[in-house]
Amino acid sequence: MARRYDAVVIGAGNGGLTAAATMAKAGKSVLLLEQHNTPGGFATSFVRGRFEFEPSLHEMCEFGSEQEPASVRELFDELGIKLDWHLVPEAYRMVLLNDPDVKDVTMPFGVEAYTEAVEKAAPGSLPSMKKFLALCSDINDALNYMSSSGGHPDPKVMQKDYANFLKCAPYSTNKVLDVIGMPVKTRKIIEAYWCYMGVDCDHFPFYAYAIMLWKYLTTGGYIPHKRTHSISLALSNRILELGGDIWCSTKATRILMKDGKPCGVRTTHGDVETEHVICDCSPNAVFGDMMDDSELTSAQRRAINAREIGMRGFVVYVGLNKPMEELGLDAYSYFIYDNMDTVDQVKCVNSFEKNHIQASICLNAAIPDCSPPGTTIMSFTTFFGADLWDNIAPEDYVKTKRAVADQIFEDFAKATGVDVRPYIEEIEIATPATLARYTLNPKGAMYAYANSDWDSMLARLMMMKEDEIIPGIRFAGGYGPRVYGYNSTYNCGNMTAKLTLADMKGEV
Amino acid sequence: MSDYNFKVKIIGLLDMLAFKAIVPKRKAILDAGPDKKITGIYGANLLAAKLHPKKQEMKISEITDIPGADAKHYILKGNELAVFRAGQYIAVDLNIGGSVLSRAYTLCSDPLKAKEGVYELAIKRTEDGFASAWILDNWKVGDTVTASGPEGFCYYESLRDEPRVIGVAGGSGITPLLSMARAIASGAEDFDLTILYGSRTEDSIMLKEELDGLVASSDRIKVIYILSEEEKEGYEHGFITAELIKKYAPEGPYSVFMCGPDAMYSFVGKECEKLGLDKKHVRKEATPAPASPAVFPDYPGNIEKEFTLTLKIYGEELKVLMKAQESVLTALDRAGIKANAHCRGGECGFCRTKLLSGEYFIPAQFDKRRMADDEGGYIHPCCTYPLSDMSLLLWHE
Repeated sequence: MARRYDAVVIGAGNGGLTAAATMAKAGKSVLLLEQHNTPGGFATSFVRGRFEFEPSLHEMCEFGSEQEPASVRELFDELGIKLDWHLVPEAYRMVLLNDPDVKDVTMPFGVEAYTEAVEKAAPGSLPSMKKFLALCSDINDALNYMSSSGGHPDPKVMQKDYANFLKCAPYSTNKVLDVIGMPVKTRKIIEAYWCYMGVDCDHFPFYAYAIMLWKYLTTGGYIPHKRTHSISLALSNRILELGGDIWCSTKATRILMKDGKPCGVRTTHGDVETEHVICDCSPNAVFGDMMDDSELTSAQRRAINAREIGMRGFVVYVGLNKPMEELGLDAYSYFIYDNMDTVDQVKCVNSFEKNHIQASICLNAAIPDCSPPGTTIMSFTTFFGADLWDNIAPEDYVKTKRAVADQIFEDFAKATGVDVRPYIEEIEIATPATLARYTLNPKGAMYAYANSDWDSMLARLMMMKEDEIIPGIRFAGGYGPRVYGYNSTYNCGNMTAKLTLADMKGEV
Repeated sequence: MSDYNFKVKIIGLLDMLAFKAIVPKRKAILDAGPDKKITGIYGANLLAAKLHPKKQEMKISEITDIPGADAKHYILKGNELAVFRAGQYIAVDLNIGGSVLSRAYTLCSDPLKAKEGVYELAIKRTEDGFASAWILDNWKVGDTVTASGPEGFCYYESLRDEPRVIGVAGGSGITPLLSMARAIASGAEDFDLTILYGSRTEDSIMLKEELDGLVASSDRIKVIYILSEEEKEGYEHGFITAELIKKYAPEGPYSVFMCGPDAMYSFVGKECEKLGLDKKHVRKEATPAPASPAVFPDYPGNIEKEFTLTLKIYGEELKVLMKAQESVLTALDRAGIKANAHCRGGECGFCRTKLLSGEYFIPAQFDKRRMADDEGGYIHPCCTYPLSDMSLLLWHE
């Protein structure tokens, strides 16, 4: 007879791990399935020579200090996850290769320090910055109220206390910044984080940009001492301690259905029974590849096919045989763009030649001893919008990815004056095919479904009920209601488990 | 709320209406999606599957003896074989008298031939080569071989390595360098390669004919044979020393690729240090962990002991015999369990396994685990030797 679990979680990415840990902590029997040989998804690490690389995290948002913890640190405390963390030294350094207004700025964390730095780089920013920060704070308060209301905010309270939020929420970042009269130069400096979303500022909702910037400024950005692999390891060990089961190297191949509801999951290691499935993988995979087309209605098919798959990731990792000081590097996080017309830049990522976007990290600037003495670990991330990798012949794959990596090094050298190429002791290049290999994300997406205007977090949260297109199947992780990003996915796993626990109570 | 009264429309109330429109707008877009079969598999996913198949099937189409060694050359043909980078290996699945295992063998063919569905292996009978001996004695033309996709990091990368490479090979370590030479000759790779190939005697040089043919075909490939037990005209004599490397090294910077047994790595590694070569410029092919831990001077156990290995495998529990003189992975092989394993030298991490209890010994040079794994209780069974009874939470494909 098949084993029975209160819940089965498909995918041990960030959302799957916190969902399974939350279920196990609530005393439920839970099975976490992962197709890869190691839990973690994007939160992992890999070793090449004498370097251990961080594959994906640049800086965790909403984490906060020990004294002033933010939501993710609180969640980890609640789940009993103890790790060493580092506050990254600055918000960002942004260098623009061909922008008439801004060349090279370095921005600190902290609302006051940030505002001062913006004013220094773009005199005359203060009046619009004041309005902007007031809105950021209002949005933060509104979202806090909405989450404390358990998903049922009182419309009267919203209208009375959070009117600014309601009034700006439907509009894009650029639209609202226009309305508050922010000068172009100021806007170019504060929109630097846009690449973390992979959506241009004409299509990225203002409230979402504002809350991200606000959280970074007020709570900083954090990274764990032993790469994000240590987080995934701690979470999976905790799940086992709490009595949960983890099956790695195991693919969920089918959701078993009975009377329109899940009754089990077929895996490459046998069938298990459950009535609650939490998926930390794409709805495309679940409804397209783990279910029969005939089990879906036309409306369900249309609702999934309407979603837009987000940016496909590309990362170059290098271990350098020189210390960062000798290389001439001082910052941790580098945003390098051709210019800060985000609408133009988003078009450029549809082409190998025009893409001059990178978000690069010098890990030693936050963790001085992350690599052996005298060495430096760096990563360079860009993304692609169109399906450029679909038609690369396998025999052309290496030279294609090498050419993209070389262009990234070239751009970095142009921007910072530091050419890392002579010092590369180890190098690994991850393309959308690499991400597809390890995470099974459709198209090698690193940003799940695009978090664009109509499908942003707020819209997804407001439609959570409708998005549960088959009762008993919920989505944690980047495809879920809280969209992508480390903070969002850890929180989403926890929230999804809590909703599932509430479903279970309803059944008793 | 701040005292700032924000509005986009002149009447802020209209912004509130826009807020209310968020849900209907999203509903309308979802409703207008294409009514077609949903899929999660796109071009990049298909490319990933072509580049990194979990398993590949091929047939042995030709077997020839390799002169100079107790070794054979195998030509394997498959319908769609993954392209590889010269220097990579495949892990072939074996079932030897109830033991289920895999062994990594470096592909020695030109990577371009994979496109035509051809891989080549040169396998030599090694001293403790339980598997190589079985292959040499049992593989027949027409047999089906199942193997992993191409794996391993011992390949040339122009963004990292110098355009001139000195390849240092000992014995069957010639295979990755042969593949690289073939790749240069075919145009699949673009660098200059000088191979310093150490053998005992002229008669024991493996694959000399192929190598000489490649040298004749391309002025970018040179091979110098070094005989340790024979002095002969046309050959260098002795060991691969700093002076010898210097003698054949090009002007300016170069990278060294070492491929051979561990003993050669420690010797040649020191010679490279004498030449002032740093880690960036000296790369080596990973070697499998030794069959027995007795070879390590710091091994703290008693080789005669036998232990019980308790396995939790997908809800089942199993107890098997485990010998102190073998790795944990060998105990799994012997028990007929299809454990995850590729490189068998601690490097690839494919066998990473959760340890539930037990004492063990991991030789430092093979401990390539992630930093958090030690404290977090994860081991690579391929290079972990038991010191007590052990219990593992085992996952496998």
